[in-house]
Amino acid sequence: MSERMRESLSALLDDEANELEVQRVLGQVQDDEQLRQTWVRYNLARDALSGHPLHAAKVDISGSVRAALAAESAAAAGGWKQRVLRPVASLAVAASVAATVVIGGQQLADIGADPYGQGGQAVAASASPVGLVNSLGATSVQASYGNRAVPVLQPATHTAYRELARLRMNKYMQEHVEHAALNTPQGLIPFARVPEIRE
Amino acid sequence: MNRQPLLPARRARLCRGASLSFILSLPLFASMASASCPGADSAALGWLNRMSHSLHEVSYHGVVTLQRGGDMQVMQVSHAVEGDSSSESMTRLTGQGAQVERRDHPLHCVHPGTRLLQVGAGLQAGDCGIADHYRFKVDEGGRVAGRKAVRILIEPLDMYRFGYVMELDRETGLLLKTQTIGRGDKVLEQFQFASLSYQTREPAPAEVSLVHQAQHPHPATVVSAPATAPWQVNWLPGGFTATDAPSGAAARRSYTDGLAVFSVFLEELGRDIRPGEGVVRSGGTTSYTRGMDLTGQAVLITVIGEVPVNTARMVADSVAWTN
Repeated sequence: MSERMRESLSALLDDEANELEVQRVLGQVQDDEQLRQTWVRYNLARDALSGHPLHAAKVDISGSVRAALAAESAAAAGGWKQRVLRPVASLAVAASVAATVVIGGQQLADIGADPYGQGGQAVAASASPVGLVNSLGATSVQASYGNRAVPVLQPATHTAYRELARLRMNKYMQEHVEHAALNTPQGLIPFARVPEIRE
Repeated sequence: MNRQPLLPARRARLCRGASLSFILSLPLFASMASASCPGADSAALGWLNRMSHSLHEVSYHGVVTLQRGGDMQVMQVSHAVEGDSSSESMTRLTGQGAQVERRDHPLHCVHPGTRLLQVGAGLQAGDCGIADHYRFKVDEGGRVAGRKAVRILIEPLDMYRFGYVMELDRETGLLLKTQTIGRGDKVLEQFQFASLSYQTREPAPAEVSLVHQAQHPHPATVVSAPATAPWQVNWLPGGFTATDAPSGAAARRSYTDGLAVFSVFLEELGRDIRPGEGVVRSGGTTSYTRGMDLTGQAVLITVIGEVPVNTARMVADSVAWTN
């Protein structure tokens, strides 16, 4: 597996993948056994570390992805109209791949509504910091990084949480930096990260 | 003023405890190490070791810049070694007129993060330490603050941490420049000396309106004030170890792998919260906040540190009450 592919996978995990990267994974997941194995391995490692039962990670994601891909190629072969629509279909499948990849082979669930109202493009555009994505033409999955379901967010809650995260960053940065100043090689310099140093 | 001499002595005693408890934890660490170390490069690890010493044992002062995105801050730093202790200060020259200082820090007081950078001896014994989690490489360095530098490329071996490019003074091993590298080789944050002098003479003092005495948290300090019900973090990325020893009921835990630090904060909420999460990033720092119900109790968990958001999320996810 190439360095670039590894990076794309990592991007998917971090919810930072752009459309190109999603498509890169999409293009290869079909025939790349190693790519699939890498995912199973990542998931196994993660589950083992977090003390989850290992069987959960053995769900092979490739089947549903292949089915989605097959559906997409069938649609693309159908005529000029479908060919024009193809990019949209790609995004939808891309979203499902991303979701499947993010999920870590766990918690397959059927989710009805799309929380962001953006269809499958939510992942491709990296709009979702929350691991909940919906997809078209493929199995909907709930993404989680552990044993708890990631919360479903309404757009208003989403904004509120972002603000909350900002407030907490300001509140806790200095206490965090006290530890960074003694345990990283930069000495007192990390204090420059504190927005407003308090006495 | 006459209480001043007492402080170093007390700290020194505590610091011995700190070193001891860390040594005690080593055998466990060694038994987990594999026979060959993937990221080991003896030259690079030699420089790393040297850097960890020079940070504490060399006297210097200079001007350092911090760049994050389009923002730049400038600060004056000084570090003076006298006898068996050191004093250091950091004064902001832009923005807030604040100064942080740490006085009379004993030289033998080595914190867990620094200890993790000193892998030389353990490597021969088959203990890879930090080389299990990063790949190190020495490269030709440029000039930083007028000094010839050697460049150390530090690449993460998993996706739970960032990469770094560090430049050290060829003569003294002092860390002159740090770039934090995120995904796609993107520079998230950069610290760099703009000027540096190894004279001990202090530079002219800058005007400050606030002086903060840096705290001294380490593994021998037990924070006793209970802030919450006892809780624990059940998952850490490989190579991370606690920076101090808070009680199970303290509101904070902090962890380091030698190059990065992150802290976990837990708040018990008086009423229910709509579950959710939010992320804010600033340079190399991620702040991730999650509101949820932890077996009947609404809590807010915040993970803040120099790690990718995925790491912060997984750590937050592993928080549980201690039974």
